[in-house]
Amino acid sequence: MASFERVSRALKEILLKLYRAEKPVEIDHHLYEFGSVEYHVQSSADDPQNNYLSISTPLLSQGTMPSYGLSSYSTQMVKQVCSDAVEIVEPAKEGYQLTLKINFAKIPRGKDYFKVITQISSVQAVILCSQLKEMLRNVNSQDTSQGMNKPIKLVYHPREPFYVIRQPQKITAVFPLRFKEHSDVIIATAFFQELMDVGSSEKWAKAPPCTWSPIPPPELRGEPLEDLSTNGGFVSFEISSRHVEDKKLDKTVWSLLNFYAYVKKHVKCTRGFIQRRMQKRLESLVEVLHKEKLEEKEDVKFKAHAECRYVGKLVRLSKPKNFKRRCRDLTRKIMQIRFRIKIHGFRRFHRRWLTIPNFSSPLRYTKLE
Amino acid sequence: MNFPCQEVERHNKPEVEMKTSQELLLNSILICRNEAEKCLIETSINSLRISLKVKQADELENILTKKFLRFLSMRAEAFQVLRRKPVQGYDISFLITNFHCEEMQKRKLIDFIVQFMEDIEKEISELKMSVNTRGRLVATEFLKQFI
Repeated sequence: MASFERVSRALKEILLKLYRAEKPVEIDHHLYEFGSVEYHVQSSADDPQNNYLSISTPLLSQGTMPSYGLSSYSTQMVKQVCSDAVEIVEPAKEGYQLTLKINFAKIPRGKDYFKVITQISSVQAVILCSQLKEMLRNVNSQDTSQGMNKPIKLVYHPREPFYVIRQPQKITAVFPLRFKEHSDVIIATAFFQELMDVGSSEKWAKAPPCTWSPIPPPELRGEPLEDLSTNGGFVSFEISSRHVEDKKLDKTVWSLLNFYAYVKKHVKCTRGFIQRRMQKRLESLVEVLHKEKLEEKEDVKFKAHAECRYVGKLVRLSKPKNFKRRCRDLTRKIMQIRFRIKIHGFRRFHRRWLTIPNFSSPLRYTKLE
Repeated sequence: MNFPCQEVERHNKPEVEMKTSQELLLNSILICRNEAEKCLIETSINSLRISLKVKQADELENILTKKFLRFLSMRAEAFQVLRRKPVQGYDISFLITNFHCEEMQKRKLIDFIVQFMEDIEKEISELKMSVNTRGRLVATEFLKQFI
């Protein structure tokens, strides 16, 4: 499957390791990527000048006819990309579409070596793009060959075919989309609506017009039903000459080849985003509930504490003061009973003048002389 | 109020769920804003069930509401008063028993439920807006490659 990066990181790492090795290294690596791309890197200590890289990649087959081997255009594109240090070996090794002989001694020293090795590591992307480039190159050609308007079905991945329809002055690329889950269909549909809205705005007038429809477009009438039964609808891009001139051809081709991967990545990221957002919301809702519970508990504690203090206060005040109060009341009552006639100031007079002197008590001890 | 089960000894079940004895059930109330938004309040002697149906304007809101409310329902133990499965025909349900009323203040429980309802609607609107905004940004980035 076409990924977003053109360069194979694993292959680049191995080639850099070979290039930087001080002594000749014996290597025989098989690399597998995306389930269908295979690289075979061979390097012998006896022949350090020549290192071999074989590539096997599913090619864009047209309809039911699988494609074997590279077209001359693809071979030409590979030669253009790779430097003088790389030579195409004819025929390719058995089981592979392309075999390259790499001479590291011819790779320039200095900063450029990294760029060269990066270009060699992107050969698989070059092969993939070259086939579609060949079709899109002649957008304006007035070729009236047979089946001009007949859709060309390109199958890179068995479950992800797409159609290219040549029309006067433009080429239409149609992508039938299928998703496993209903929620993915809804998220993707929302994305396609936004794609159409953005594409139809003035700011993006230079981008290829994009349409989405839940039913197959008229150009695909006559195609087998199994290819047209989808749940995600059909997205169409109209590619005109201005999208394929010069360097734009490469970008346009790469964008079209990666459209499926782009949509699926967006759906996956959106699902992850929704999940994270829901988790965060749950935490905030639960926090509110716990906060209220904590507030309630604090209220109850405070009340209980206040009640205890009040009760404590009452207990502390009761015994001695009550007793004193009672005694005071009792003496007052006795005095009221004894002194029925109340004369103001008599008490003072009584204390000063009418007090009986204290004689020694007969019970006290007196010293005998 | 705390009302033990009449059928089985030493059992205390929320009567609004069991519905075994009709005399213990009180009149239910259905409040409808429109056909798509409604609230059903079922009461009984020892428990109360509140079921809500949330507004879903389009397919995207539909899946977001389903996902979000299912997410919350699966974690119902964190909320205590939330039911794991909503009542049929509704999106989310609360079950409040006498024990909840004893543990928590009734006034604050009501505030929580009202706040919960408002937050759900707000959250779903924000989610929908975020999904559309993300889609727009991704579409912009994709179309940039052609220019």
